[in-house]
Amino acid sequence: MLELKQVGAAYDQVQVLFDVSMNVKPGEIHCLLGRNGAGKTTTLKTIMGLVTANKGTLSFNNVSLNGLSAHQIPKQKIAYVPQGRGLFTELSVAQNIEVGLMVRGKGTSTKDKVLELFPRLKERLKQRAETLSGGEQQMLAMARALCIEPDLILLDEPTEGLQPSMIQLIRDVTIKMRDEGAAILLVEQRIDAVLSIADRVSFIERGVIAETVTASSVQNNPAMLTRYLGV
Amino acid sequence: MDFGPHLFLALLEGSITAAVLALTAVGLSLVFGIMRVVNVAHGEFFMLGAVFAWWITSMLGAHPVLGFVLALLFAPLLVGLIAATTDYLILRRINYNPERTIVATIGVLYIIQQLTLMTFGPEARPVTAPFNKRIALPWFENGADGFTLIWPWGLGTTTYKLAVIVAAVVILLMLWLVLTRTKWGLIMRATQLNSDMATAHGIPVDKVYAMVFGLGAALAALGAVLVVPIQQAHYLMGADPLLLSFIVVIIGGLGSLLGTVVAAVFIGLSDGIISVFFSPTLAKILATLLVAFVLIFKPNGLFGKSAE
Ligand SMILES: Nc1ncnc2c1ncn2[C@@H]1O[C@H](COP(=O)(O)OP(=O)(O)O)[C@@H](O)[C@H]1O
Ligand SMILES: [Mg+2]
Repeated sequence: MLELKQVGAAYDQVQVLFDVSMNVKPGEIHCLLGRNGAGKTTTLKTIMGLVTANKGTLSFNNVSLNGLSAHQIPKQKIAYVPQGRGLFTELSVAQNIEVGLMVRGKGTSTKDKVLELFPRLKERLKQRAETLSGGEQQMLAMARALCIEPDLILLDEPTEGLQPSMIQLIRDVTIKMRDEGAAILLVEQRIDAVLSIADRVSFIERGVIAETVTASSVQNNPAMLTRYLGV
Repeated sequence: MDFGPHLFLALLEGSITAAVLALTAVGLSLVFGIMRVVNVAHGEFFMLGAVFAWWITSMLGAHPVLGFVLALLFAPLLVGLIAATTDYLILRRINYNPERTIVATIGVLYIIQQLTLMTFGPEARPVTAPFNKRIALPWFENGADGFTLIWPWGLGTTTYKLAVIVAAVVILLMLWLVLTRTKWGLIMRATQLNSDMATAHGIPVDKVYAMVFGLGAALAALGAVLVVPIQQAHYLMGADPLLLSFIVVIIGGLGSLLGTVVAAVFIGLSDGIISVFFSPTLAKILATLLVAFVLIFKPNGLFGKSAE
């Protein structure tokens, strides 16, 4: 479904991604793991067109993403939940959701369906996004992403900075989103948070995807984690 | 004239300055708030508004009212289109880099100014107001037999001047409604708050920027069309509005629209009072000093949020 072949990308003159080759299959939770600064966030930004690939090809459902403007990517049903949540902080919960609905002209039925998943948000529709707790903000970012009824959701460190109880909740929501039919490309630094829910895992090292394996094979191979993550 | 009526007159003149300044400065503030662009050419868009108003009304010389209505509609529209094109051709290409946009808009300032000099010429040209009835204004006197209304000689204004104030208030209210109550407003605010995530939700940020830049310039042009029957059109008339807009936007807090309007009213009224009782130059000196103090003691403006 999502197919990256030898993708490279740079910030100004500095090349950050060298050879990112991977694919995400329909309905899977695919985890992208790597150390701090390995290029995980940049990979997601490149998929979203927010950083322009200067090498390689990206395609989604057989549509080339290389030629699309960044604002056309969400119309392909790819949703993005960035690191740090990227909420419209001064807007209300309801307005953040409304921006999410704009992409594909989705109406109230989608909104109601999404809010069913997040009862805590439903109670806080008028509240400004920046006044929510960390976990609620993460939920809002995920709810906003679901508004485009995505086939693929890019999740960048959704549990970063959250309490353990919240981490559990975000994990449950991630599984729910998958069950709704979306494939998920999940970036994490903490392996324990994701291994139990992931189907496959790709390791990225200094801008290169080193290998892609099934999650179960990682569980039986701690040496792999030491090598790529230093744990 | 006694002090009371004299002050009243000064406040009235100041309100006109305030009304036009509010429109112009809100345009500058909007562009800065959403795009983080300091538009040094803003005063030239003001000037173009006045020049186009002259051009449109003089083509329809026989129908001053119709000509003015058309000028009110089309001068801001034309200026907005020119500004949007400027954004698309120049600012977008330099990636809205803060230093480069300042240099680029200085360039735009001179291009617009010199092109106007070459075509419109160096003369100041008047535009006839669509209506301009003089009205005398009453004042009260606390004499031997209590409060009485009097009509001091020289205390008066024109219907047009009052209409300018009303029009500015209506336009600002409409702008506020658009920004807070419509889908367009939501798109602009989302772009302002996080342009990457706006893009990731399908908002064509390039187009929003071109539109906002056009809207900002159109607001300046609207202010100019309103004031040109009082002031005349001239190719150098952009300097004062630019300076005053900067002063207002800094005092009001960069990017804060409400702060901008409040500061415009404050600066406009004090400009009126100081100009009438002392001199217009002193008014500008004091306003500039005020900016210096604001920058030293409250760099985010009197109404701006403190940096987090
Ligand atoms: N906006 C940026 N400008 C320049 N360099 C950047 C920028 N963002 C990230 N980088 C650099 O790119 C590399 C990869 O960063 P990133 O993709 O954020 O890593 P990760 O998400 O895996 O921690 C790092 O070396 C980082 O310093
Ligand atoms: Mg990252």
